[in-house]
Amino acid sequence: MIRLALRLTLGGGRESIIRFVATGLAVAIGVAMLLATLASVNAIGTQDARGAWLTSASTLPGGHHGGGRGGPAGLAGSGPGTLGSSAVAAAPLWWVVNTELYAGQLILRVDVAATGSTSPVPPGMSRLPGPGEYVVSPALANLMQSVPANELAQRFTGHEIGVIGATAIPSPGDLIIVEGHDPRELAHVSGAVEITSYATSSRNGGPESLGSTGEEFVLALLALVLLFPVLVFIATATRLSAARREQRFAAIRLVGATNHQLSVIAAIEAATAAVMGVVIGLLLYVPLRPLMTHVSLTGQSFANGDVTLRWGDLISVVVGVPVASLIAARLALRRTIVSPLGVTRRAATPSPSVVRTLPLVAGLAELAYFVSVGHPRSASGQLSAYFTSFLLIMVGIVVAGPWLTKVGATLMARRSNRAAVLVAGRRLADNPRGSFRTISGLILALFVTSVSFGVITTLLSDHSVSSAGSAASNTVIDQFNNFASGSIPSIPTSLVPDIRAISGVSGVSVVYQAPSGVRIDGTVPYLNGIGGDVIDGVVECSQFRFTPALGHCHAGATYAAVEQYIGFLPVTKSVALTSSTTWPTAHLTQGTSHLPVQLVAVATNGRTSTIARVETVLESNFPLTSSTTQFGDLDSPKALLLGELRSTSEVVIVASLLIAGCSLAVAMAVSVVERKRPFSLLRLSGVPVTVLRWIVALETAAPLVVISVLSAVLGLVASDLFLRSQFGENLRTPGVAYFAIIGGGLVAALAIIGSSLALLEPLTRAENSRME
Amino acid sequence: MSSTVIIRATDVRYQFGETPALRGADLSIVDGEILAVMGPSGSGKSTLLHCLAGILVPKSGEILYDGVRLDQLNDDDRSELRRRAFGFVFQFGQLVPELTAQENVALPLLLGGMRRHDALERASGWFERLDLSGMEQRRSGELSGGQAQRVALARGLVTQPRVLFADEPTGSLDSLTGELVMELLVGAARRDGTTVVLVTHEPRVAAYADREVVVRDGVVTSLLAGATTP
Amino acid sequence: MSVPFALLGLLEREPSHGYDLKREYDSLFGRDKPVPFGQVYATLSRLARDGNVVPGESEPGSGPERKQFTITPAGRENFDRWLSEPIEPEPHLQTVLFIKVVLSLMLGRSAEHYLDIQRASHLQRMRELTDRKRRDGLVDALLADHGLFHLEADLRWIDVTAARLSQLALEVNS
Repeated sequence: MIRLALRLTLGGGRESIIRFVATGLAVAIGVAMLLATLASVNAIGTQDARGAWLTSASTLPGGHHGGGRGGPAGLAGSGPGTLGSSAVAAAPLWWVVNTELYAGQLILRVDVAATGSTSPVPPGMSRLPGPGEYVVSPALANLMQSVPANELAQRFTGHEIGVIGATAIPSPGDLIIVEGHDPRELAHVSGAVEITSYATSSRNGGPESLGSTGEEFVLALLALVLLFPVLVFIATATRLSAARREQRFAAIRLVGATNHQLSVIAAIEAATAAVMGVVIGLLLYVPLRPLMTHVSLTGQSFANGDVTLRWGDLISVVVGVPVASLIAARLALRRTIVSPLGVTRRAATPSPSVVRTLPLVAGLAELAYFVSVGHPRSASGQLSAYFTSFLLIMVGIVVAGPWLTKVGATLMARRSNRAAVLVAGRRLADNPRGSFRTISGLILALFVTSVSFGVITTLLSDHSVSSAGSAASNTVIDQFNNFASGSIPSIPTSLVPDIRAISGVSGVSVVYQAPSGVRIDGTVPYLNGIGGDVIDGVVECSQFRFTPALGHCHAGATYAAVEQYIGFLPVTKSVALTSSTTWPTAHLTQGTSHLPVQLVAVATNGRTSTIARVETVLESNFPLTSSTTQFGDLDSPKALLLGELRSTSEVVIVASLLIAGCSLAVAMAVSVVERKRPFSLLRLSGVPVTVLRWIVALETAAPLVVISVLSAVLGLVASDLFLRSQFGENLRTPGVAYFAIIGGGLVAALAIIGSSLALLEPLTRAENSRME
Repeated sequence: MSSTVIIRATDVRYQFGETPALRGADLSIVDGEILAVMGPSGSGKSTLLHCLAGILVPKSGEILYDGVRLDQLNDDDRSELRRRAFGFVFQFGQLVPELTAQENVALPLLLGGMRRHDALERASGWFERLDLSGMEQRRSGELSGGQAQRVALARGLVTQPRVLFADEPTGSLDSLTGELVMELLVGAARRDGTTVVLVTHEPRVAAYADREVVVRDGVVTSLLAGATTP
Repeated sequence: MSVPFALLGLLEREPSHGYDLKREYDSLFGRDKPVPFGQVYATLSRLARDGNVVPGESEPGSGPERKQFTITPAGRENFDRWLSEPIEPEPHLQTVLFIKVVLSLMLGRSAEHYLDIQRASHLQRMRELTDRKRRDGLVDALLADHGLFHLEADLRWIDVTAARLSQLALEVNS
């Protein structure tokens, strides 16, 4: 029996070989992509684990907080109260993590101070750096050597004692520095906590991630968005070999095979192709793997050993794919109860009903629900909410597709005058499932593309600094936020001249803390929306006019009062606001020289080197108490994450379009073979080849174009709903790139279809058709 | 030829959806005889044959084969019966395109669990008998109509069935080829004592039979000449 | 020939004059070849002589054509027997069979039945020929084939006619 089945599958002449190979290849491609995706997801996890220690402050319970209350948009980690000292043997380690930028790249600066000799040593180094020492990641060490010292290296106090080992660095390109300090220094730094051990898993991401949902969200979304089309593709591939099965099986049934014997044959047919596909897929994966390390799924590359498969992954794919195809074949067979009388009596496959649109509608409804009531509070709640709705929508697309095809086809046939339209419409309506299966990959790809573009474009456009704000981004500010008063007592007198001396700097101004009871003409507008007990700042107008991004003084004023937390304006509260704000005049009696300093602002020409040098001067003067950013760019870590997401989405888009192309090509190959007989007969009965070509074109291109457009629109709608519920944003029109990709994808698909049209003539030639 | 009835159909009715095909057909077939079932197209003769062979289950009525109620067997049992005791030669579309001629002939044996080697050997014995020497490895697409029908005949006879059901076996063949096929069919059947139920609308094919019945509008009428009344 | 029986059949329907009989015969059966008057009268005389018909009272001063003929019970019997006898396969089979069919339709008998009888007879003959073909040499087989093909042609005609009976009945009886 098994031998018979194998004989049928493999030895059936050219046509069955083609079918077998096509199916096997399709499965192979699907499996390779599946493995690559799983490996990448593993890599992300491995990276996370390696970088977990960096998030120790926020993931570990307990931890004694240092002084300072942190700023309102605080960079500090969180944690409940004090830890009882009796439970731990190790001496606690003071720990604070900050982020800096150099030329747009994120540098993670970890300031540590050991309180005793048993303070925990971070992974990747042999000992803790003491005061005046630091340990850097290899990438940062290289960077520091390759750029002028006054742009980078001078920011850090002390000397390098070593390099962080690879086991502690998430991504090879990460810039990390661990600086040692005296515990008495760190204890007063806002945001410093005492930790006694290191986190080994970053459940709640640190400053690098999008709050607490961060990596999990990205991972889950990746899995969904990549795996699902791949699985659909594999399923499509295994169904392809169903072509002509009925005729084959009818003969076998006639001669007296039982249904059981028949299903064994069908199962083996499916399984052999699947097994071959898995084997080839594994082989394809091997060269694919090194490629994956370069494909930056999250914007950062993977270390070489990261992209690996766990045994569980491997086994589940190697076993799961053939098993799944077995089951699929069995199910498909059950539907066409093969009668010995053959193709004529197909157990009436119920034509797809409108019920099929339910999952799609449900998914959209779920999203709409969250728009109206707001998104769930907890991170995991958000995750499950969006995951389920997008899953429903994607499943809904695949499920509703045949119904849509049937409806469109019936319309096409009913209202047509031309023969080709009529025939194409009827053929489509007769086999909507098969027809949709051909294009399902592309449809999903377009949906995914639309969602990615919609979300990313909108979120990123918030971060793109408007033209009015380029002056803002060129302005570096250093907001002092370490002491209870949110200011430092004084700055070195040489600071301002030093900075001004840097070439490219056009102005420096200082925001001082206003003395209590200062007289102000009018009220200070609180652009940040924070009122209450903020302490205003004052500026000297003679300086202030050189940093116009922060606003203006009234004409003739000597001093003006500004909002203290001007540096913390979130980027969405447009920076353009400040630059157009005229601050009220303040009347100071004694000048500013003895006033505490809240903020130093430096207007530059925007060049990387200039900005880097300014930042270096500021950092080296105020190693622990400053946080320099480009004005309005406070959310740079968030922007970086969005950059990650964007490159992720690019990968996803490319991958899913690839899958779509493969599935379309495979499906077209098989359908060309399927068409040979009926179309030969048509041609023999006098139908001209041109009309045949039109029929094929309409059969494939019509549903393709229509449903693609629908799917793209659907993707934009879904992303709009998602944006509105999660971020309160409306969808911005995606740019030219989006339409180019969608258009390009459609054109490529039509090209594939077109190439099969060329085959139609030789295939249906009378000499080639043998009446069996 | 004995006079025991091997198949008896009583008041068999069948319809395709709303269209009635058999409206109470009665028929008795004697063991070893060659019976021609004639009638115009649409009369229901093929449907009658399908019911007699256990391919279709009548909506009502009885079909007795060798004392067994065929209409009451389940699908698996009917399949088994078809494999074991019946042979089939239909007009076309009945060879498995992926198998060679020899494998096609061996198919019923393989399905019955015979070892591949033995099955193929037994199958190959038929090739010479039916003037098909040399065609063993050809696929159905490489055979002419007559050759394909002879392969089908070999397959129908390879299990030494008790009943051979033939539905327009020469329908797509020219006169001479058709004659050849009929010669072989009848010759083999007579030699082995196989009962043959032969559906045809062609008198020259029916002339090979011992007697004929006519199916008209879903019922069986018999003609007087040489009839064994049902 | 079948003219006597054709006339008998027409007479079975109703008694007729010779003149009417000829006209009827011509319109039904004599399309290509009308039957001569002489043949009609001669046939009628012979039929009368054999007791199948009886001449009726003739009108005064009229010739044989004005005589009315009636079928006798014996004549009926002979006609029935002729009707139900299958015809030996011969070149003019169609004509005779055609006459039989038309007559039965006119008389309200089951034409199908006669066609079936004929068909069975033909098939029996074909069986015999087929057996002979398989037994004897090639030359005899060729002769047998010839016969078989002709028989088949007849059967085809019978089938077509059978399919057209109802329509034919309408035309005949109008």
